[in-house]
Amino acid sequence: MTDIAPTRRQMVAGALGVLGATTARAPAIAQARATKLTIMSHAVHKAVATGAKGGDSTAAWRQRTGLDAEWITFSVEGVHERVYREASLADGNVDIAFLLERYGGPHIAALFEDLGEWQKRDPIEHFDEIGEGMKAAHTYRGRMIAIPYRHATHGFFFNRTFFGERGVSAAPRSLEEIAELAERLTYARSDGSRVNGYALSMDDPSAMVDLVRGFGGEFITPDYRVVCNEPGAVKAVALVRDWYRKGVLARNVMSFKTEEVITAMQQGRAAMTNQPFGRFVNYNDPKQSKFPGAIEVVTVPMAAAAGGAVGRPAPAKTSVWAMAIPRNARNKEQSWALIKELSSRESTIRAAVNGNGPVRPSAYDNPDVRQLAPWSDFEKAVLPSARLVLPGFENAAKAMDIYMEEVQRAMLGQTEPQQAMDAAKARIDPLLPKA
Amino acid sequence: MHRLRPAHYLMIAPAQLMLAAVIVLPAISLLWLSLERYTYGRAPEFVGLANYLFILGDRAFWRASFNTFVVVNIVVYGELLLGLGLALLVAGWVPFRRLVVSALLAPYAITEVSAVVMWRYMLEPDIGMINYALMAIGLDQIDYGGDPVTALGVAAAMAIWMHTPFTFLILYAALLTVPVELVEAAKVDGAGAWQVFRHVKFRLIVPAILIALLFRYITAMRLFAEIWLLTEGGPARMTEVLAVYLYRQAFKYHEFGVAAATGFAMLVLSLAIAMPYLVQMYRRMVRDAV
Repeated sequence: MTDIAPTRRQMVAGALGVLGATTARAPAIAQARATKLTIMSHAVHKAVATGAKGGDSTAAWRQRTGLDAEWITFSVEGVHERVYREASLADGNVDIAFLLERYGGPHIAALFEDLGEWQKRDPIEHFDEIGEGMKAAHTYRGRMIAIPYRHATHGFFFNRTFFGERGVSAAPRSLEEIAELAERLTYARSDGSRVNGYALSMDDPSAMVDLVRGFGGEFITPDYRVVCNEPGAVKAVALVRDWYRKGVLARNVMSFKTEEVITAMQQGRAAMTNQPFGRFVNYNDPKQSKFPGAIEVVTVPMAAAAGGAVGRPAPAKTSVWAMAIPRNARNKEQSWALIKELSSRESTIRAAVNGNGPVRPSAYDNPDVRQLAPWSDFEKAVLPSARLVLPGFENAAKAMDIYMEEVQRAMLGQTEPQQAMDAAKARIDPLLPKA
Repeated sequence: MHRLRPAHYLMIAPAQLMLAAVIVLPAISLLWLSLERYTYGRAPEFVGLANYLFILGDRAFWRASFNTFVVVNIVVYGELLLGLGLALLVAGWVPFRRLVVSALLAPYAITEVSAVVMWRYMLEPDIGMINYALMAIGLDQIDYGGDPVTALGVAAAMAIWMHTPFTFLILYAALLTVPVELVEAAKVDGAGAWQVFRHVKFRLIVPAILIALLFRYITAMRLFAEIWLLTEGGPARMTEVLAVYLYRQAFKYHEFGVAAATGFAMLVLSLAIAMPYLVQMYRRMVRDAV
């Protein structure tokens, strides 16, 4: 029998050979990398930028440059963790990074190019159309580190089928009305399935702040004052506490993230919620939802007690995703060229047709957008007053965690809403940027 | 006894170097990191013991430590009791032994994430299999989302379910090595089943029990997926354990110095727990060697 087992010498020689071949190929690999741009983002950005309905916004740029766009997608937190880690290295592999304003802050600004300078040199068309508030969300000490691409602004969703079953004919026009309806819509259907009147994501304050603002309150003001213990804000916490006690909110609501809210609405386990307008598509998708066509969206209304005309939209939460170029990116000229392409009017419309929240108001006038996004009038109406969850600062993540911790303590009955919010203020105040 | 010569040291050097490279150097690097303030976008700054003082003054850290202590003890001793009981059962008479052993080992083959997600579905309010069954027989649902004690209990139960096979396997193997003659001699002397277990089998498998306890204490200290995927430490951060606290500091707040200090605190706690068992094992080794 022939012994085919390699000798130790052959093994070592083989290993060295493989190593040598790998080393020799290294420049080739590096060269191959130079034929594409790496974009790090959430999956939604890839979907809206390259979706089939509206078309691929990167196609023209790819054809022009011969480069390819490689999308690497993560969860919201995952994107930022990896982008910041990559951007901190001496040599980076990320050419364009999508950032959400509440994960940013002045401390990370130095990791990214000042795109204000790039804009001066090689301007994006009709740049002034993009709202100043959106640009400001990614500008720190005069450095604009990212160009707004997508906004996710909250609307108020309700299930028309459940409204019918409980004898409700019209969308609520005030927060008080929502509070009352939420109890009425907490019931067992004729088939025995149970419905919770309201679903709320509780992993961060983005859903809570709609209620807070609806009652005329705020969490942290743009000039960094914690005001979550003022009457309007406390009223929202008291409402949520009461909903939890009465079973309006699901028993496990405190572990709800966006995904759980989506599932609850799609499966008919919740009757109402406040989420980004774009979720309309998910809620009414016949492939995913048990209630396609029955879930409607309007603006989150103000509380009548907070003043103003009945039906006036509350300054709902908005968040702004924007495109940045890490300082250590290798092909900044092309990164900027692609950002320009994605920011053009045409690309904005294409992405909006693919379900994006357009940062250019003119996109709402496009007939295709209006047809595919029946919520566009409501979204356009709320945009002028919509606000970020909180202004960006280094300890924003801690501040949001503390706030939600105190809200949940109130919900559990460990403390009263006013005490909880006083405690939140006392704990968050030292985390704010010093004047 | 042979004396070690330079050639011997040379031969064991690669293994020692590898240990130094993968364990000692990262540990030193971690220790150094725990003495710095380091986050993205800033140069590291030496802050001495400030990170340790921070975690010692943070009530969330103490709550996480307490939760870790309670859950780890429930998990380790729960697994020991269950694993020992199953090992005794299988080592005795049980039909379809191979099938039973395979079934008992199955949870260990499931990835933690899949297992937690599966349990979470089963515990879903109103519609989850377990809660639905509880409601059907008129009992209250398991409310892991709103009751921190229940949430920690569910996490402990999941960990026990997933890791009992490890303890079972060690104890089952140890029980199989107990000499039959000793058991028969004890029975001839009039010992009942309990006395045979207590005075013969148990005494012989004590080293295996210590090893199982030691390994599980060390790995259970890192308990993460069960809590993170079930509650993310909520409600109100009341179900946080040390690994979740560390994760939050590192990957949510990007406070790598504080996270490193937490890692070292976990190491010290692990050592404190493991030390009595290590001392006991060392004494046995010395005694057996004499």
